[in-house]
Amino acid sequence: MRVSYQKRILFTAISMLIAFTLIAAALWFPLVPRDVDITDSIFVLDITDSMNVKDVEIDGEQVTRLEWAKQFTKETILAMPCGSHAGLAIFSESRSLILINPVDVCTTYHDLTQMLEQINPHMAWARSSEVSKATYTAIKQAKKIQPVPSIVLMTDGHESPPLNPKLFPKFAGTPGQVHGVLVGIGGDELLPIPKTNPEGDLDGFWGVNEVMQKDVYASMRGDLQEYYENKPRTEHLSSQKKSHLATLAARVGFAFLSSPDDPNELVDVIKSESEPIVQTVDYDLYAWFSGIALVLILLVFLPYSLFSRKRNPSSVHD
Amino acid sequence: MSLVGLDWGYPWLLLFLPLALLPWVNHNLDKTVAWVHLVPVDPLSNVINIGLKLLASIAIASLILALASPSLPEQKQERIGEGAEIVLLLDRSRSMDDPFAVKTQAASVSVGGKNSKRNVAREYLTEFVRNRPDDRFGFVFFSTKAINLLPLTYDKEAVLATINANALGKGLSDTNMAEALLSSAKMFEGQPYRGSRIVLLVSDGGQILSDEAKENIANLYKNMNLSIYWIYLKSRQEMTLEESDNDNLLWVDIPERKLHKFFKTIGVPYRAFEAGSLKSFAEALAEIDRQHYETLIVEETLPHQPKADLFLWLALIAMLILASSHLYTLWGVKKAHE
Repeated sequence: MRVSYQKRILFTAISMLIAFTLIAAALWFPLVPRDVDITDSIFVLDITDSMNVKDVEIDGEQVTRLEWAKQFTKETILAMPCGSHAGLAIFSESRSLILINPVDVCTTYHDLTQMLEQINPHMAWARSSEVSKATYTAIKQAKKIQPVPSIVLMTDGHESPPLNPKLFPKFAGTPGQVHGVLVGIGGDELLPIPKTNPEGDLDGFWGVNEVMQKDVYASMRGDLQEYYENKPRTEHLSSQKKSHLATLAARVGFAFLSSPDDPNELVDVIKSESEPIVQTVDYDLYAWFSGIALVLILLVFLPYSLFSRKRNPSSVHD
Repeated sequence: MSLVGLDWGYPWLLLFLPLALLPWVNHNLDKTVAWVHLVPVDPLSNVINIGLKLLASIAIASLILALASPSLPEQKQERIGEGAEIVLLLDRSRSMDDPFAVKTQAASVSVGGKNSKRNVAREYLTEFVRNRPDDRFGFVFFSTKAINLLPLTYDKEAVLATINANALGKGLSDTNMAEALLSSAKMFEGQPYRGSRIVLLVSDGGQILSDEAKENIANLYKNMNLSIYWIYLKSRQEMTLEESDNDNLLWVDIPERKLHKFFKTIGVPYRAFEAGSLKSFAEALAEIDRQHYETLIVEETLPHQPKADLFLWLALIAMLILASSHLYTLWGVKKAHE
């Protein structure tokens, strides 16, 4: 099909005129308000001794669980849309301590990552690791922040002293009232736990007789003796306690994500778990206008003649 | 991605830049003539022809560049401001959960209430930070170990969020004053001297420091030219840091008096503000406000500046000429056919 010269001139002129108008619109069209779903979250990092076990990888290199948690937190913050807020907290002993309330992930990115870098095992104020209670305190404190943030707890789930499976610490809140995700870190193999001295420096490994092998309740009761005699004494070793974390997550109404690979996966889980806050941002439509203008101009200049020449060999071009 | 001094939001779009060459290989608007030599050679028309192709290329390239979302990267800009560099050293010990400056022993029983020392400190520090736009703040996490949690920053949102977080939950049992003081000083290490440097200690109690710690602190603070401000949050209204004649025997020998004495002997600017009530706390902060308006060089970060408009303008001008020329051609051809 060959379009007449006159028509081609007409189409070109019209396209150019529209393209010109579109570019003008790209420059001057007012900003359009648009709703974006954003989330507020607090990243709670487990800084207890078991997090010093080196059984996770970043780029093929063996690193400690805490280093992995820090790196993954950083990447997750980076993957969150601007306008989202993130806070940081640490947990040691039986409680979570909030270091910074949620702040904008884009404008405060530099300070957030600086603070994240500072988090280290030295900050632990006691040498026990009570994951469940720490989760409860994180929930309790999150309620005091407005808007209530979701909790992202990065932990291996190692409880020390161990818990009695029948006597789970009581959760006083309503499950699901505060949203959150437990992120399980660590391998499946039981590995020795590096020991930190009161100064927080690494100092050998925890020995089999240095940690409580059974929970406080059981150790005071004779009738459970038999049960514990058959149980291997492995509380000085640590792996990712997936079933415990799943139980804990169910108890408080959190999601559980074991060893995620992709920060976007975690961002999606946080989004689906929490009630996103709708924030109106002013959206510039310039990309749409200039995109269409570009397509129009390209349509004018696409080399159609390459296709039509064969069919009409008599046409001559100057 | 950064290229030619600009950050590009969608750098992959730059791969489409060769499309700008399309006008040069294009014959869509060529007119079929019987014999080419019938067309007279017209140098002006050749120049116009090349000009129009150039404009089309510019329009296409500019649009692609604009779509790739260019922006000037963050820039640091220095300006002269009035302010100080302040490291906040907030006591996170359990005693900070006690009520602030009560008159009777009985009133000090309620723990973690609205008027806890921790809450009072938060309210007033928030006010203080808000009132000092030019100051740079740092924050030291202060427990058994001192960690320089928030390195000096101008970002008020980060500082305020850290102060607010500090008011949440219960206090920690152990605090290590000596290490916290040393750690605070380290915050200024490697920083260019910009103006007044203050370590602002907000605490309700002192600690007996070892002689070695005292010597280290004294040396470090003198060398680094630091001032110490201590906002002393007392539990009982009549407690004072200075000795007086009618002292209650209970607080003649309290650690805070020893710390106060030590601070006075270091030989660096030191002021203690005995925040006895909310009113005097406010006055204490206002006093710091007044004293520390020294000029200093303030570093500001200018956020990303989108530069797409620049390219859109270029495309617009090119298109203005192109569109007019094509409209003119259309008019000419119409006329010729009439």
